[in-house]
Amino acid sequence: MESVIDILESKFGAKRDASAKWDACVVVPKEYLHNAVEFLKNDPSMQFDMLLDLAGIDYLTYPNHEGPRFAVSYAFKSMKNPGRRVRLKVLVSEADLKVPTLTDLYASANWLEREVYDQFGIVFEGHPDLRRILNHVEFVGHPLRKDYPAQKRQWLSTTDFLIPELEKRLEDKGYKVIQRSKEIMPVEEEYLEGSIRE
Amino acid sequence: MSNEAEKPNFITTSLDFLVNWGRTNSLWPFPYGTACCAIEFMSTEVGRYDLSRIGSEYVRFTPRQSDVLLVAGTISYKQAPILKRMYEQMAEPRWVIAMGACASSGGFYDCYCTVPGIDHIIPVDVYIGGCPSRPEAFFEAMFDLQKKIKDESYMKQRAERVKDQLEMIKAKTEQAKAEAREFAREKTAELKEFVTEKEQELVKKAQFWKE
Repeated sequence: MESVIDILESKFGAKRDASAKWDACVVVPKEYLHNAVEFLKNDPSMQFDMLLDLAGIDYLTYPNHEGPRFAVSYAFKSMKNPGRRVRLKVLVSEADLKVPTLTDLYASANWLEREVYDQFGIVFEGHPDLRRILNHVEFVGHPLRKDYPAQKRQWLSTTDFLIPELEKRLEDKGYKVIQRSKEIMPVEEEYLEGSIRE
Repeated sequence: MSNEAEKPNFITTSLDFLVNWGRTNSLWPFPYGTACCAIEFMSTEVGRYDLSRIGSEYVRFTPRQSDVLLVAGTISYKQAPILKRMYEQMAEPRWVIAMGACASSGGFYDCYCTVPGIDHIIPVDVYIGGCPSRPEAFFEAMFDLQKKIKDESYMKQRAERVKDQLEMIKAKTEQAKAEAREFAREKTAELKEFVTEKEQELVKKAQFWKE
């Protein structure tokens, strides 16, 4: 395990995270992140071929913390060398909320990065479809940030229209879409007739 | 007509009794299950507890054929419009049961994403406690609902509905009349303008030929 950290330190200017007591955690500079992950995945001595998890961290109310406010933590696992795990961390300042995407290397990064974007507002550059995944489309703000009031609720007025996405996915699989569907907004008066909203 | 129907007499009360008897003994539930309460509802429905003993024989998975909307589970803000649409698709008469702590009050999810009780979206008739609530509690809720339905008066509701509809028709006809009047006024103004223009043209022509 030490060899992985040493190699990352010598090759990509990474630093061992002293606060992580129970696992191997490395802080990588943002500009070398993509290269480091590519190396971890493809190098025959590493073979970390699984992205377990990807999480955002907000250090706003963290005691005795110095440095940038946000961080993104990546957990990798090797299926070919059993028991090998490593965690990479990228520090993100509030002024520059951009991190390179990993979707070209790991397919599982797609939805995980969408979740971090949704909950923390961190933008992943080069992501094919960066939208909200858990919160609804009319939601304003990013709820897992520490300065978001935890009990502030926001109403959604209509259901999400997801049919174009479905059609796109079917087309990718080789199906042919004969007729495109349009979103039909209900006429307010007809919709409200016999409703409890009146 | 509506005033006479509001007063109870022998025919209306016996009709009420018959209708309520039919409604209480064939409450078809429509389960909107999103969490563990729905699993409890399954065990209520099958052999050991057997909800069909009190007439809730069929669980209909379409809102158009069911009488009781059974909300069993947590409702998030993303789901709220869907639940509301479901309720609006149900035909009258319709009742709602909020099963479990989450549907009744949001439960322990006191956060940005959970609706604090479905009564913020739709009217609720019976609440059931518990996390998840037991089948016995569900049975008691059904009995409470049956008691509530027995107190309702079909004829009274019908009279009120007819009154509302009449009022709505009157308002709509008045609106249509006002629109027609305005339209006619606009048209006459246009025609007057047209006629005056033509007259002026003719006068000009006449002057030209005179000269």
